[in-house]
Amino acid sequence: MNRVRFDAATRLHLLLGIIAVAGSILLPALLGSAYWTHNFLIVNLFVAVAVLQNMLLADAGQVSFGQGAVFGLSAFTVGIVAGLWGHSYAAGFLAGVAMAVVLGLLFALPALRVQGYYLGFVTLSAAVVFPEMLVAFNDLTNGINGITRAVPALTTPLGLGLTPIALMVMALAIAALLFHATLRATRLGRRIRVAAVSPEAAMALGINPGALRFIAFTIAATGTGLAGALYVPVLGFVSPYAFRVDLSIFFFFSVVVGGNGQLIGPVIGVWILYLVPNALLADLANYRLLGYGFVALLIMLAFPDGVVGTIEALRRRRRLRTQVTGISVDRVLAWPGARPRPPTQGQAITVRGVRKTFGSLAALDGVDLAVIPGSVHGLVGPNGSGKTTLLNVISGFIALNAGSVAINGTDTSRAPAYRVARLGVGRTFQTPRVLEEMSIWENLEIGADVKGDHSNWLLALLAPFRTEWSENRPDLLAHAQRRVLEVLRTVAGDADILLLDEPAAGLSAAERRDFARLVRFLSERLGKTVLLVEHDLALVWKVADRITVLDAGQVIAEGPPDTIAADPRVRRLFIGGADA
Amino acid sequence: MLEISGLHAGYGRVPVLRGIDLSVAPGEIVLVLGPNGAGKSTLLRSIGGFIKPTAGTVRLDGQDITGLAPEEITRRGLRLVLDGHRVFPELSVRDNIRLGAAFRGGRPDFEAMAGPALEMFPILRQKLLDPARDLSGGQQQMLALAQAFVAQPRVLLCDEPSLGIAQMLIPPILDFLKRWAALGTAVVIVEQQIDSALAVADRAVIMERGEIRLTGTAAELRQDKRVQAIYLGLDEEDTP
Amino acid sequence: MNDLLIIVVHGIGVGAIFALVGMSFNVVFNASGILNFAQGNMLVLGALFAFLLLPTQPDLLRWFILLPAVAIGLALLLAVQGYVTLLPLRSSVEQHSWLITTLAASVIIGAILLIYQGSAQQSVRSPFTAIRFMGVRIPATYALTTGLALFWFIALHIFHTRVLTGLAISALSQDLDAARAAGLRVRRLQVTAFAISGLIVGSAGFVAAPVMAIANDSGITYVMNGFVAAVVGGLGANLGALVGGVLVGMLSLYAAYEYGGEFQNLVSLALLVVVLMVRPQGLFGRQAARRV
Repeated sequence: MNRVRFDAATRLHLLLGIIAVAGSILLPALLGSAYWTHNFLIVNLFVAVAVLQNMLLADAGQVSFGQGAVFGLSAFTVGIVAGLWGHSYAAGFLAGVAMAVVLGLLFALPALRVQGYYLGFVTLSAAVVFPEMLVAFNDLTNGINGITRAVPALTTPLGLGLTPIALMVMALAIAALLFHATLRATRLGRRIRVAAVSPEAAMALGINPGALRFIAFTIAATGTGLAGALYVPVLGFVSPYAFRVDLSIFFFFSVVVGGNGQLIGPVIGVWILYLVPNALLADLANYRLLGYGFVALLIMLAFPDGVVGTIEALRRRRRLRTQVTGISVDRVLAWPGARPRPPTQGQAITVRGVRKTFGSLAALDGVDLAVIPGSVHGLVGPNGSGKTTLLNVISGFIALNAGSVAINGTDTSRAPAYRVARLGVGRTFQTPRVLEEMSIWENLEIGADVKGDHSNWLLALLAPFRTEWSENRPDLLAHAQRRVLEVLRTVAGDADILLLDEPAAGLSAAERRDFARLVRFLSERLGKTVLLVEHDLALVWKVADRITVLDAGQVIAEGPPDTIAADPRVRRLFIGGADA
Repeated sequence: MLEISGLHAGYGRVPVLRGIDLSVAPGEIVLVLGPNGAGKSTLLRSIGGFIKPTAGTVRLDGQDITGLAPEEITRRGLRLVLDGHRVFPELSVRDNIRLGAAFRGGRPDFEAMAGPALEMFPILRQKLLDPARDLSGGQQQMLALAQAFVAQPRVLLCDEPSLGIAQMLIPPILDFLKRWAALGTAVVIVEQQIDSALAVADRAVIMERGEIRLTGTAAELRQDKRVQAIYLGLDEEDTP
Repeated sequence: MNDLLIIVVHGIGVGAIFALVGMSFNVVFNASGILNFAQGNMLVLGALFAFLLLPTQPDLLRWFILLPAVAIGLALLLAVQGYVTLLPLRSSVEQHSWLITTLAASVIIGAILLIYQGSAQQSVRSPFTAIRFMGVRIPATYALTTGLALFWFIALHIFHTRVLTGLAISALSQDLDAARAAGLRVRRLQVTAFAISGLIVGSAGFVAAPVMAIANDSGITYVMNGFVAAVVGGLGANLGALVGGVLVGMLSLYAAYEYGGEFQNLVSLALLVVVLMVRPQGLFGRQAARRV
């Protein structure tokens, strides 16, 4: 197993976050301020919820306005089980967390169908309905009267003014922060983030985005449920009024005001939105809401990326002037090893009679293609001839209308993209799907995550750069480097078949030469099969073993480069009627 | 009239244009040619304000318009007709044309404003009240040009006007562009296929990988062997 | 039988309010892709103005003068809100900014109501007398909200098909790039769309005031039901909002009649989930019309 490593920014965020949480619990208790002790217990419970909301929103990309309902359901379940039914607090605690997870799973269901503000509205509506249901089922919940349930064992000071519940809240908030940081450094966390940022890239890496949404919702609901269950001993009382939609909106605001995706963002967001109105307008209860609304509005106008997000952006802008060590193609090519070329009989990719129509337009009209294992196969043709569509059909991104596709003899005609990827098919995209919010190193690791093997030769070869690349994001890389990074990512995943979609676009002459060498290396030394869609014919002539020419969804020529370049039909196709 | 110097631009971090210099005089038709991915559309979009150039300047009658928003550039007299015959599909042909002149304000007389275009494209007059989605691709291209015509721009940029259009509809479209230029409008046409618009062009430039590689008259380029080499990627010193 | 008729008639009347909110969503959404969460509290503000400005004695003349005045007032307010909402979108691609700024605007309006009147609920007396229809007494307000919903449906249709500004706003939703190439000023048109949505919710709040709860926390319920109406019908399509609103109105009144008032919103939520799972584009949604 590889040890979890945090980059410098994460360590700083964690340190400050833990200081803020621990200090805000310990200081008021030591100073003996009951008012601030109580307020900061609530603040830190909210911090725990907001940290998980941050994970859900920024890492998993799920807009949930219903976390207040999850929190409230857990608290109310504790109240019902431990208060009204007279069971122990521990029993209530378990029941509360369990109910929270159930509600979280319910939220995940619509997330399979809809995303973005649609999902936001569904969860928002759930948050509106939740307190109404607490009132409607008053036989069960005691309705608007609420439930009183003290837990004296947890609220009796142990000494120095500290109660067990204070320590539990502190532990929960710190655990939430540590959990979030650790999750990001694990395979699961990286895969959750890839699925959110780019579903296409995720599927190309063998990830089923829907499954990861479920996991993210479950994780968030569990943590939020834990916080909700601790709410009861903190307050000693639950009431439907405490869990109105405003609470859910508060959690969401906290994340965005603090800085969406910033580890310490939720801490800052909760402090600003809870403490500023409470401290400044302590005597004017009705004005707190107004203050809170204005603070949220003004911060969004002044810092669209949130408070911490704006600070981080400034820090990074300063760093952007220093260029990182480029991703050197030479270093990869210097790898002394070689892998045996696969036997050249058989076919790596077999496409038979594939048809794909969009409306009345036939993008692919009976295409046959056979790619020999270990070869570089070029796919060329004018705009709209169906090259990228064919690539999408092979990699499972587009369902075909007729015909069949097989990878190494396995039929994949109906397989979704993430299944095809798991068969060892890696691909790149016209615009590189490099994940901006991850470090350069993580961008390589998500490739290795496909098979979960982090001890492969490529990562070992590039290990000297690990520290530097872990501290930096891909926005420091020039375009050509991002291309190479995307290709290396598929190599790190040990894919046998690489589908490259217009890799040479935007490369300078020297960069193209390097890229051509890389492609030849993949085929000759690593035994990879490469299917290359490319506009840049000069590159294709140079690197391809065989070339297929598409026009209007049909194959018009197939053969080695020399034959194809001399074919009058091909010349006519690319030049127009000039020498027809 | 239109002067471009040292223009660099790209999509996000992908550099596409690498220093383009080009100037077009009133009444002149310049054809921009080049293979797929040469940066022709990017050039037009950078001039038209849809892509912010990273370096270089675009001047319209001496006035610097580099980096302005597309709608402001149109208001200053430079009109880009996007590729793919884009019109407003749910609006009628007549309303599509009216919107082309909407920014000029007032209540212009439709007939006076659109008459010359409708004369060239009688089919549009017949379908004046039909929604634009019911037109064929070629008719939509005519509509897009009519919409641009009523804006009375001094410079017209036209991105692949012949793409996806029935062969027989291309001559009237080119004819229209020729007459339009004769009114004193500077016209830049982007095409991929060499022959399609060469006949109406005063001058053509050939782009490759974000740079202008060749410039010449129609007759000169027709003879030039290098054109074919550029299109087939056979012109490089390191080609096998 | 009589109960059913009451549910249907009142359902249409209440549903018309949801339809009006739904149409006001559509106007802004079509022009900008933004869903304005403050729309519900803007509706409540319209009703609050009716409460503040209408005398306790029925005064029809005053009512007819105030109706357009309140609508225009809300239009100005929404234009300002729209301008503020669009501001950060200029400088950043932060996709969550409008969620926050519109919600914050909603929170601020709710907070002002709270400061002004506490958590009390105000109500307004209608200056019109009830009508009798097939033996059922229909509050005049329900007839008026239904009429207003139809009025705005037709007015929006004319606006989007006849008026140059309306055509330009339609053009934005059909092809943003082509609209910009044609020289249409996107920001200005989007702010105009916000103002028009203000005319709709302002007039709707004023007219519906006698049947509304004018309270600091009632806005979110109207946002929710208005959104459900718009989604059921197909986001962006006003005919859909009209039909969706009436559907939501009747279902929620039925739920109130059968199970109690607390279940009204639950039924809307259930309807929303079912529609999104089964037919996300809604009853009248046109997915193809939008170029992505």
